[in-house]
Amino acid sequence: MDTRVSFPIASGRSVLRAVAQVAATLVLGMMVLARALPAQSLLVPMDDGQRNHLKAYGVTFAALKGGLKAEWLLNYRGGSFLLADTPEIRRKAALDGVSLEPVTDGVVASMRAEIAGANMDAVVLERVPKIAIYRPVNQPPWDDAVTLALTYAGIDFTSVWDDAVMKGDLSKYDWVHLHHEDFTGQFNKLYLAYRDAPWFVEQRDRDLATARAFGLNDVPALKKSVADNIRGFVEKGGFLFAMCGATESLDLGIAGLNVDIAGPYSDGTPPAADADAKMQWTRALAFQGAHVEPSPYINALSDIDGHQVNVAARRQPLGAFTLFDFSAKLDPVPAMLVQNHRTVVPDFYGVTTSFNKAVLKSGVTVLASEDGAPWVKYIHGDYGKGSWTFLGGHDPEDPQHAIGSAPTDLSLHPTSPAYRLILNNVLFPAAKKKPRKT
Amino acid sequence: MVRPLRNTWLRHLITVALFAAPVGAGAQSGGSAAADTVDPLGIAMSAEEKRDFPKAVAAYRVVLQKGMTQGTDNADLIAVALLGLERVWAETGARDSILPIVQRVLLLRPSDPVGRSIQLRTLVGLGRDDDARQAFLSWRRAAGNDGAPYRDYARLLISSGRAQAADSLLTEAGRTLGRAGMISSEVAQLHVALGRWNAAAVAFRDALADQPYLEAAAMFALARAPAPTRDSVRTVLLEGPPTLVLRRLMSTIELAWNEPRRGWTALSALKADDSSAVAWREFGERAEMANAWLVARDAWTAVFERDGDLDAQARAATAALNAGDAASALAMARREGRGNAAGKPATRVAMLVPVEIAALGELGRAAEAQARLDAAGKDVDETTRAMLSRPLVSAWLRSGDLERARTAVAGSDLADDDETVGWLALYDGDLATARKRLVRAETRRGELVDALGLLARARIDRSPALGQAFLALAKRDSAEAARRFIALADSAGTAPASSLTIGDASPALLALAARLVHGKESMALWDRIVASHPKSPEAPEALLSSARALRDAGDKAAATARLERLLVEYPQSALLPQARRDLERLRGAIPPSPYAAPHDS
Repeated sequence: MDTRVSFPIASGRSVLRAVAQVAATLVLGMMVLARALPAQSLLVPMDDGQRNHLKAYGVTFAALKGGLKAEWLLNYRGGSFLLADTPEIRRKAALDGVSLEPVTDGVVASMRAEIAGANMDAVVLERVPKIAIYRPVNQPPWDDAVTLALTYAGIDFTSVWDDAVMKGDLSKYDWVHLHHEDFTGQFNKLYLAYRDAPWFVEQRDRDLATARAFGLNDVPALKKSVADNIRGFVEKGGFLFAMCGATESLDLGIAGLNVDIAGPYSDGTPPAADADAKMQWTRALAFQGAHVEPSPYINALSDIDGHQVNVAARRQPLGAFTLFDFSAKLDPVPAMLVQNHRTVVPDFYGVTTSFNKAVLKSGVTVLASEDGAPWVKYIHGDYGKGSWTFLGGHDPEDPQHAIGSAPTDLSLHPTSPAYRLILNNVLFPAAKKKPRKT
Repeated sequence: MVRPLRNTWLRHLITVALFAAPVGAGAQSGGSAAADTVDPLGIAMSAEEKRDFPKAVAAYRVVLQKGMTQGTDNADLIAVALLGLERVWAETGARDSILPIVQRVLLLRPSDPVGRSIQLRTLVGLGRDDDARQAFLSWRRAAGNDGAPYRDYARLLISSGRAQAADSLLTEAGRTLGRAGMISSEVAQLHVALGRWNAAAVAFRDALADQPYLEAAAMFALARAPAPTRDSVRTVLLEGPPTLVLRRLMSTIELAWNEPRRGWTALSALKADDSSAVAWREFGERAEMANAWLVARDAWTAVFERDGDLDAQARAATAALNAGDAASALAMARREGRGNAAGKPATRVAMLVPVEIAALGELGRAAEAQARLDAAGKDVDETTRAMLSRPLVSAWLRSGDLERARTAVAGSDLADDDETVGWLALYDGDLATARKRLVRAETRRGELVDALGLLARARIDRSPALGQAFLALAKRDSAEAARRFIALADSAGTAPASSLTIGDASPALLALAARLVHGKESMALWDRIVASHPKSPEAPEALLSSARALRDAGDKAAATARLERLLVEYPQSALLPQARRDLERLRGAIPPSPYAAPHDS
């Protein structure tokens, strides 16, 4: 008996067709499934795949503000952010034109594996930093790069001015920013050129009234007192970020608290002849041994600034500065401060553009400098329980910004690498990890 | 201190001693006979041009020697030689080589302005600030009450960014020399460098009283004043009785600030005379170039009122026509001229009748236009007549007389013109022909683009109703056109799906209508597009347009909501960048636009 069982044998072509049909159905099914199910996380890429780097910080800030946690993936695709996938975040990103990449848990796992094996790290951001910007309350935001950046990115801040600082209000904030204020009280030595300008007169009268309200004789006394309050804020654990002339003048104000370093037009007396010798640099944050410029006719406060833009005979041309690499796992704080999609950034002038290496204190961390130049651009350090960061220059996207120049429209510079440096500073106090120094 | 040498024999001795020795081999080899017969200046300039710098230096030295030793000092020759040497040494990187030569010249000619100027320029250029200051002081002593040392030094200081030093210098000059020093221009430039715009305007105003040639410099300097400071510049320049120089300056600056109407207001205040008429003509031309047609019309009208000339009349009428003011164009074209300037009758017809016909066409007075053209007879040549057929056809269409328009086309070159034939077909409802011909049209006016867009969406070949709607548009009856577009869109909604309707074009029809009406009516149409045709390409446009209307009406919250909806629901729309920018501006996240809308009325 023939026990063989006959099976319908399909031809080779029909088998192939059947396999193809099954495969197509599976792929289609997976695609439908992928569309139907939300991704578990949203990656905010910060490399060249991002359309609006500046607003990406705003989206991350909004996530924190909404009670969500976020992760800052240091050195991963330009310092990307990993956020929970929620409709609110997707909506905010769509409104702001921020590029998002939905990722599944599997993809996140492979990202983590990559991060673990390279000079990268994931830092958890978990709280919304309370931010204060030292500026007159009613001033429009267009003449201060940080206010400009925060306003554009949609990050909340409070304006504080001399009276608030003198009353001790800084303790309410985690992070304080200063821009081009002159803490020596000499109005950035603009007296000669702008003494009749309405804005100058208004500023002088306002500062003098504040000084008198606090029982002080003149503007230099007020500003130096404000500088010392700011020093106290950092000493007690605050984060300070300063740009432009505020960097240099803050340390001059702190070190010169008890020295007459101001010209006669601001306090009625010439600077002390031995001002340099009397400066108490041990109190200062970043600098030491600088020479204070005594002449009211030379538009410079000291020799801290390497570029001296307002002194024609000393002015140095602009170059480009390079951001340093730091170990994301061992030096997370400096690593956070330099996250960027560019490593070389065009320089930009300010009342103080850069910092001469010769006057830096020994513990200062240099975050960016110009190759072959005697100055550095971007520095960071600890002071007491807090820390400070100084970035030279006024407006990264208007390298020769002058008084009266049109305000910078950041929507025309949504991928500005230098503005990113400012926003790195804003998010850094939100980090959970305790900084570990090498 | 350098003191002038007064003894003639000593001057000659020093001249020979100082300049003869370093003349160089090239000049010496020629011998005295050759030097007499060949022009050393020619040799120097030729050598400089050929970049044979050693030879040029030697020859310029010969020229200098010649200038210094001739019976009477030849200041021109000395100046040419010094400037030549300065150029050549600058080219060879030996800029400081000029200094000893200049020093020697100044021993003999202590107040030589060219020598002093070169000395100062070179020292400042080399960064030898102390020496420059000494050179300035020496020149100041030698120059007496002349303001030249102050002027030159201040210019150099300003251009090297040392505005504060220049400020001190000019303050001192003002105190020492007063108005006689003629330093107002430098003071003005200094104020500009320091951003003191009001003071700069005052200084330029004062300087122009004595030095009217500074007008161009004042214009270029003050035109840079930022928008918030411009009113103070205006106040200074318009103060007091109007003078030609200041008003002309103000009008030019206003044009540079994109404020042609203010410019004309400043200039029109001048009393009508020959000089004013010249200024008005120049302003009219510039206003034409800036497409500020209403202002150009007024300027040319003012010229015509005074001179009665044909050119001004024709340009005023044309400007009015270009500004969309056909009535005043017609009135101007029909005015009588005065005297010889009015031109011969034939010339007047050739220049004014085309404007008149075009204006009549715009006004829809087609029969009158035809009659005017017929009356002009042989005064209008064939070329002009052919050129006028288009406005005539437009005139018939504007009056709604399709038949006469067709007749006018038949008798002209327009019978082969794709755009004209296409429009006529469209008005007839022949969409197939319109689609075929209009796409080949050479112009790309807004209404043509709208028509092409609609024709592409309406997939039928015939629709008299659509033709009537476009004809209403041609008659400038926008309300009727909108009503017809809406009716067409309504009918599309009720027609059976299988019937040949222009259903696909409904949102486009509604968008066209929305652009033709205003206020609530427009808003209702935009809303209808978003609600009924959310997937159409007009939906994001509807959101953006309605958001802008709400913003302009002061309803920021509603405008924001619409912009947000556009950004979230239409991520692929090409309007996203505009919407995002509008939203950011509404939120105050970016600065307000620095560019004010031009004022042209």
